[in-house]
Amino acid sequence: MVKKELIAMLLAGGQGSRLGVLTEKVAKPAVAFGGKYRIIDFPLSNCINSGIDTVGVLTQYQPLRLNTHIGIGIPWDLDRNVGGVTVLPPYEKTGNTSWYTGTANAIYQNLAYMENYNPDYVLILSGDHIYKMDYEVMLDYHKAHNADVSIAVMPVPQQEASRFGIVVTDGSGKITEFQEKPENPKSNLASMGIYIFNWKSLKEALKALAEQPNCDFGKHVIPYCFDKGEKLVAYEFNGYWKDVGTLGSYWQANMELIDIIPEFNLYEEFWKIYTKNEIIPPQYIASTARINRSLIGDGTEVYGTVENSIIGSGVVIKEGAVVRDSIIMQGTVIGRNSVVERSIIAEDAAVGENDQIGIGEERPNKEKPNIYAYGLAVIGENTIIPDGVRIGKNTAVTGETVPEDYPYGALESGETLDKAGVVS
Amino acid sequence: MRAVGIVLAGGNSYRMRELSNKRAIAAMPIAGSYRSIDFALSSLANSHIQKAAVLTQYNSRSLNEHLSSSKWWDFGRKQGGLFIFPPMQTPENSFWYRGTADAICQNLSWLKDCHEPYVIICSGDGIYKLDFNKILEYHIDKKADITVVVRDMPDEVDVTRFGLVKMDEDNRIVQFEEKPMAAMSRTVSCGIYVVRRRQLIELIEKAGEEGRFDFVRDILIRYRDVKKIYGYKMDSYWSNIASVESYYQTNMDFLKPEIRNYFFREYPNVYTKVDDLPPAKYNPGCEVKNSLISSGSIINGKVEDSIIFKNVFIGEKCTVKNSILLNGVYLGDNVYLENCIVESDNTIRPNTSHVGKNGVEIVIETGDRYTL
Repeated sequence: MVKKELIAMLLAGGQGSRLGVLTEKVAKPAVAFGGKYRIIDFPLSNCINSGIDTVGVLTQYQPLRLNTHIGIGIPWDLDRNVGGVTVLPPYEKTGNTSWYTGTANAIYQNLAYMENYNPDYVLILSGDHIYKMDYEVMLDYHKAHNADVSIAVMPVPQQEASRFGIVVTDGSGKITEFQEKPENPKSNLASMGIYIFNWKSLKEALKALAEQPNCDFGKHVIPYCFDKGEKLVAYEFNGYWKDVGTLGSYWQANMELIDIIPEFNLYEEFWKIYTKNEIIPPQYIASTARINRSLIGDGTEVYGTVENSIIGSGVVIKEGAVVRDSIIMQGTVIGRNSVVERSIIAEDAAVGENDQIGIGEERPNKEKPNIYAYGLAVIGENTIIPDGVRIGKNTAVTGETVPEDYPYGALESGETLDKAGVVS
Repeated sequence: MRAVGIVLAGGNSYRMRELSNKRAIAAMPIAGSYRSIDFALSSLANSHIQKAAVLTQYNSRSLNEHLSSSKWWDFGRKQGGLFIFPPMQTPENSFWYRGTADAICQNLSWLKDCHEPYVIICSGDGIYKLDFNKILEYHIDKKADITVVVRDMPDEVDVTRFGLVKMDEDNRIVQFEEKPMAAMSRTVSCGIYVVRRRQLIELIEKAGEEGRFDFVRDILIRYRDVKKIYGYKMDSYWSNIASVESYYQTNMDFLKPEIRNYFFREYPNVYTKVDDLPPAKYNPGCEVKNSLISSGSIINGKVEDSIIFKNVFIGEKCTVKNSILLNGVYLGDNVYLENCIVESDNTIRPNTSHVGKNGVEIVIETGDRYTL
């Protein structure tokens, strides 16, 4: 009989709507990060580096890119005879078929998958955090404390604690209280959304909460286990951990990689981060190029100037172009003499010549001021930008745009231009 | 599945000087991200050939490490696959491979068990992209016994280290000389042959019985008038890297836009084993001009007209000109390099300088490396 001590369930079905046009056509875990990675590479690499060889990836929102990326798991050594990586989309069943309505509901609908491996413990992960963590150490902690459920927590500054789900522990690590975004936090330990369950406890809780609408781990399963009197412990994690849920934090986390000795170091020999290398050749830096403080991916050609930026694979930055404080993803072309500042340009976009992007005065976005902020100009994937236009700050552009879309040759700060799906 | 591939990758050449001390020629790093054999294997895979044997001998471990999995070239198939054949002892044979024909001869049982009608023989030290199906068509069209891929070389290339051919109007090879004293033609053999499998078995068995071991001398040249041996002229990029000068030049060729585009951007792609390395990092103070930089490298100094392979560290105030730094090289601060090839994983001490004055200097320094 197949037996796996610990299996992982990776929640990768969310849209991540706060990333705006970046997640218009891809799920958040498939968004590019750090030049050649995608966000999901971090939890997947953590799994294999922690010795977990059975991972179920729950997908729902726009899974195509994610499916192509994961494939049969070769880059992460997760192509296995028994176990390996399995993509788990919602499926039709007799009786009530439904989408995944919540994080715990998604896991509930895949009880049969987990049952196959006869696990002792199940690790629940989300596919949208940047960190390196040894889950095996967490499992050892879980076992040593004889816990039913372990929750990974990290200390946050006390004044920011009211933005998080806070756990309060006694001296031994046992959890005594939960506070969801509390006004007066009693502790500064924030939940990271990483859980280890005893398989029996998880199965029992999911079945008991089967009828719960939008069943969620933080809101329903954990309180259920707590109320039932099971032993919940907090596992304190003190390494680098970043939620890249907003454009601001996404941009910030990317920029931190450029530091000379970054807090999150991709160049360490142990704990490698694996990804699917679609583009293999080296990058070419021309005589006309100037590069400073940047990360550049494989197969990229630089003829212009790049400063303080993260450039993906297969990008072309043409002569005279200037890219500053920006993130340019795989396959994008920046035309001659265009200036790109403080922008995020998604995959396979084409920026014309003599464009100015991310330049203008600071003004909040009119449609979605909470999403398109931080002074960033955000360009969606496959977007085409005509020659000689100016795009301001806190803007979003997506689709095949033409000069007529830019009154007086400009998209002013705070405007949104969404032509995705428009066939010209 | 009309053909199987045989890649001859067992050789060594004194022309590679110290570079072949630790690896087979077929395992020489090329163009930042690749190894020499990738070009032959990718051409085979892209021509829908699913079964290939790599015959290794000299320093075979270096090659085995690169060929640790067949999946990178898409050879991980049930029908077919990638086979690596070093010499082996059997009751009938206890010799090393005594030549290219002998290498095939010692693996005849494998060839006999194949069912594909044709064999493509290529060497592991050629840099090219070829559609072998086209050559196969040509071979069938000409009703040839053996087709040899040939190429006219430009005047500046010294062709006397190659096999030289002369062809008649029909492209039948009428003269073939291996590494002649004086060049009698500008057309060289690229070391790529197409031959019917049964024909090959017959020729190799005969040569084996007669104690003849070299494919070129004992089959191509010996049978030149008896068998119909045709030349197939290729005109796309081809280079043989089996001398330090041509190895250096071939790498530098990738700085030319048309050659870079041809290999890096035009379909079909060249595949290689992927190392999981982070993107290249450019720190303040770096100045890079007309160079190829590979992933995992960290640049703090000046790089000009050079090829930087994977995982290279270039310290502050360094200057690297017209040089090739192989995988994992570490340059301490304030190093000056010009016209050099630095052997992989070597550490160059700070405040030193190496200049290749008469041609390319091969730098080998295996000092201690102090890193934080």
